[in-house]
Amino acid sequence: MSVVSVGSQLYEPLKKEFNSPNPNLEKCGTYLAKLKISLSELALLLPEGEIPNTEELLIARDILEIGAYWSVQVKDIPSFERYIAQLQTYYSDYSSLLPPSPKMYPLIGLNLLRLLSQNRIAEFHTALENIDPQQLLENVYIKHPVHLEQCLMEGSYNKVWNARAEVPAAEYLFFIDILMGTIRNEIASCSEKAYSSLPLADAETLLFFNNSLHEVMNFVHERGWVVKPAENKIYFTTKDENKIEIPSTSIIQHTLNYARELEQIV
Amino acid sequence: MVQKKNSNNTPTRRSTRNKKSAEEEPEQPKPTKRITRSLAKKLEEESKNKVTESSEDVEMAVENQDVEMAQAEEIDEDAKKAGEADALVLADIKQNFILLERAVATIESRFTTRVLRTTASIRKRLNANILAQAIKEAFPRDSVDKARLLSYLNKDSVMEIDAEENSREATSILPEIDLYLHLLVLIYLLDKQDFDKGILLANETINKIKNTNRRTLDQLSARIYFFYARFYELTGNLAEIRPALLAAQRTATLRHDDDSQATLINLLLRNYFHYNLYDQADKLVSKTTFPETAGNNQQARYMYYLGRIKAIQLDYTLSHTHLLQAIRKAPQNTATAGFQQAVYKLSIIVQLLMGEIPERSIFRQPVLKKPLIPYLHIVQVVRIGDLSNFQETLAKYGDVFRNDKTYTLILRLRHNVIKTGIRMISLSYSRIPLRDICLKLHLDSEEDAEYIVAKAIRDGVIDAIIDHEKGFMKSKEIVDIYSTNEPQIAFHQRISFCLNLHNEKELASAEALRERERELAQEIAEGEMDEDDDVADF
Repeated sequence: MSVVSVGSQLYEPLKKEFNSPNPNLEKCGTYLAKLKISLSELALLLPEGEIPNTEELLIARDILEIGAYWSVQVKDIPSFERYIAQLQTYYSDYSSLLPPSPKMYPLIGLNLLRLLSQNRIAEFHTALENIDPQQLLENVYIKHPVHLEQCLMEGSYNKVWNARAEVPAAEYLFFIDILMGTIRNEIASCSEKAYSSLPLADAETLLFFNNSLHEVMNFVHERGWVVKPAENKIYFTTKDENKIEIPSTSIIQHTLNYARELEQIV
Repeated sequence: MVQKKNSNNTPTRRSTRNKKSAEEEPEQPKPTKRITRSLAKKLEEESKNKVTESSEDVEMAVENQDVEMAQAEEIDEDAKKAGEADALVLADIKQNFILLERAVATIESRFTTRVLRTTASIRKRLNANILAQAIKEAFPRDSVDKARLLSYLNKDSVMEIDAEENSREATSILPEIDLYLHLLVLIYLLDKQDFDKGILLANETINKIKNTNRRTLDQLSARIYFFYARFYELTGNLAEIRPALLAAQRTATLRHDDDSQATLINLLLRNYFHYNLYDQADKLVSKTTFPETAGNNQQARYMYYLGRIKAIQLDYTLSHTHLLQAIRKAPQNTATAGFQQAVYKLSIIVQLLMGEIPERSIFRQPVLKKPLIPYLHIVQVVRIGDLSNFQETLAKYGDVFRNDKTYTLILRLRHNVIKTGIRMISLSYSRIPLRDICLKLHLDSEEDAEYIVAKAIRDGVIDAIIDHEKGFMKSKEIVDIYSTNEPQIAFHQRISFCLNLHNEKELASAEALRERERELAQEIAEGEMDEDDDVADF
């Protein structure tokens, strides 16, 4: 099967379906599955060795890009990860052969956000190094996740929350929402240490629950906090106080160890 | 033509000398050659009397200066001296041939090491004539390699006919000497910036290495791989040779060729870093083992690369240990200034990221003083914990950092600046409104300040508590540290460190003793073997 026939049979309908205002995601999925099979038959899924002609590469890249977007829309993170890994070859190794894709930076940005939402910070930074430093500061798709990461590290969580309103593309929301869950837990663990008590109403705003006391109560129970209904306050039980014990076993171990070593020296 | 122009245009002392002798040679080849040969013989004897080579070098340098100063008046003298210098280099190269032969005969790598150690001094004095001469004498009459190598030097192989009254008619050539000459020609082409030819020759040489499997070649082939990659780097085609390097690395591993292995791993890492492919570099590191017997220089390089990878991955403690090792293993002289600067730059940033302040003395070292100025400013800003100042410095030196590829790392420091700021405030105030914290740290809003302080408390940066309703931060009383288990832990750390140190020392000295014994035995054996040679040396 040649690329041309694949193109006419599957690629065109997929493109049409996906770009329509209300794409039928299921249908796109079946198209993509078939396309992937033919791509691998044509050795375009992970091209290596002999460089195929640029037209074929372009079509293959386009298909993979659609696949990545599609994965976000059906909320399939592992599939998104795979598509991005495959696209990496096209973006880095063939960058001199192909014209740059307009979807490249949005997808790289999405990938960064994914790493962030999965708390894979080391990989996030490794991926960051791959990006042209100029784009790092100027490209709106890249700037957003980079800014988010900085805020997260600092602890300015309300900025992260506000960043939700400034997403450069609709797809980003999917990962941001995952991120919000993580942040809420972060804030909760910070609050446990930083406050001795907190009024319920304030906890609601601090934890970004939008005026629903019910959700707050659920969350409070989840974390095991104590609420005194009379004062309408949350009390955080401080765990680490007045618990200084003598760690007898470790002392014995250490002392024995020293004795043995000393014996060796003498 | 172009290449010739290149070599002549470089305004070094060496090249002016080259030019002169190059002009001299074709006009009256026979007399100079005779002089050269007889001189060479005489000088060879002379050089045997001189024990150290370095004294020779110094003399050479002085001689050159003289030549430079008295240039106009004594052209004759000049030419003679140039010829003399050439003869000296030639003698050195020939001496190296003998050493290489001995290396093969005794299967001892240290002779090769000795040969390679002289490369730097020979490199400074190398020119096409010397090389051509050396090649002509080393290769048998109708060798293909000979004509090929000569063609790289722009020397016609026809010329050899009148030079063929060779006393020592070589019938075959050792691959070691063959490769050594290849190496010298490569170095010569590199210095002449003749990259196209260099790449051609490097490729041919690499093929040669692939087809020969001799352990005595290891060190030489490692060097050749290095220059091979260097040529491609200088022409900007580093990505092209990645598969070749990977294949070579595999072969070297299978052959237990430690020298080439170490060099190749470093070359690959450098290759990846050049394109910022830290992911692949990390995978390479995890899939390969760096040979322990590799030379210090390669090890220092490897440690630096490891430090880089770990720094990118936020593993600062490990990164710092690697970088420290790199600094210690690198030779401490001005020749490696570039490497030292790069390592120190990275290590300063990593130390800052760990929350430590680098020692002031680093910035005073003469080699490092100037290039580290931007980093000094960063350190000062982080130490004080002033956010707006930090942004200013970042903007001011942004280009420098981007050039050094430390920009992204420095961006991460913002967080540390804030932490220091909070710590300072917590130390100096027992109670402070969040509003004031926000103003002092130049944060955007009070809410921000609250979240940031809360995070700092959780991360253990400060020991404080926030009163949300009244909007202030209250530092906790400092607990008596001696009532906790803290001192015991600290003592344990120190004791185990000392014990480890002692044990390692014992182990090392035991090993060194064994090593010494072995070497002594070897030397005795050797002394008997080449007595006639070495005795003449003294």
